[in-house]
Amino acid sequence: MADEELDPLIHVPTRLKIVATLAALPEGDTLSFTRLQDMIRLTPGNLIIHLRKLEDAAYIASTKVSSGNVSITTVALTEGGRTALAAYTKALRNLLGDL
Amino acid sequence: MNTIPDTAAEGGGFDPRQAADLLERTRRRAMREFEPAQPWLLVIRAVLVLGTLGTVWLTVRRQDPYTGPKASVLLVVAAFVVVNFCATVAIRRRATVGVSGRSRFTPVEIGLLAASWIAPYAVMAGVGVTGDSRSGTLLTVPLIVVGLVFAGVMAVRADWRACGTGLAVAVTGAVGASVGQAGAWAVTAVGLCVTLLGSAAAITLRLHHG
Repeated sequence: MADEELDPLIHVPTRLKIVATLAALPEGDTLSFTRLQDMIRLTPGNLIIHLRKLEDAAYIASTKVSSGNVSITTVALTEGGRTALAAYTKALRNLLGDL
Repeated sequence: MNTIPDTAAEGGGFDPRQAADLLERTRRRAMREFEPAQPWLLVIRAVLVLGTLGTVWLTVRRQDPYTGPKASVLLVVAAFVVVNFCATVAIRRRATVGVSGRSRFTPVEIGLLAASWIAPYAVMAGVGVTGDSRSGTLLTVPLIVVGLVFAGVMAVRADWRACGTGLAVAVTGAVGASVGQAGAWAVTAVGLCVTLLGSAAAITLRLHHG
């Protein structure tokens, strides 16, 4: 099986970490941007760039919630994101099994 | 620690083996960090509950008639319950920081769980089940109620492991209530210890193979 069958959107260390972290939450749960940033250990700017790419592919959904003067951004893996990660994991297994 | 440079940027040079390793490490770490019931804490609680309630049993087992543990001993038990409760809440809060959705208890669920602790004592006080000579009953009846309510809440959430834990607590309370005032302390000590260790083992298994 060829390398290119791995979803190029997920097959990037930072985005793989983001998707794997969000997948560890129960379906329907969301994670705040700051907690995700803390767990992935990225600068806000870097994280935003990767999140935007994942959001453009509809792998994640982000929501901005205002709480008083503070606005909190939360992110969650979509159903499509979960399916894509499952397909990516399967492709990785197949690939490594072939090696 | 992630040794993969971020310059593996758009996937080029990101070896599939490295990807599989990073995926597995990240998944396990995230599951561990999101887990509200940490196995190590459950094991500590199991040892402490066995030591605390077991010690009470040793002080009351030869009493005839049963007069119950000394006030100082009950104070230690109460302190244990409070510390245990605070540690559990603190760890749960830390795990769910920034998380919204089903992982968090709803106000209704919190109310139900709080009521399940308060109601048995209120009812028992109302019907005159008070005093040191009934301390075994005061220990076991709330366990039955709390265990059943917790199991119910977790069943609604389809969290079958936690539901099993609630049922085990309720069974411990029921068995404890059936063996008399002094024996209740021993049954509760062993029952809760086994329940906590079982829960820790189940969570550990899930975190490693989940």
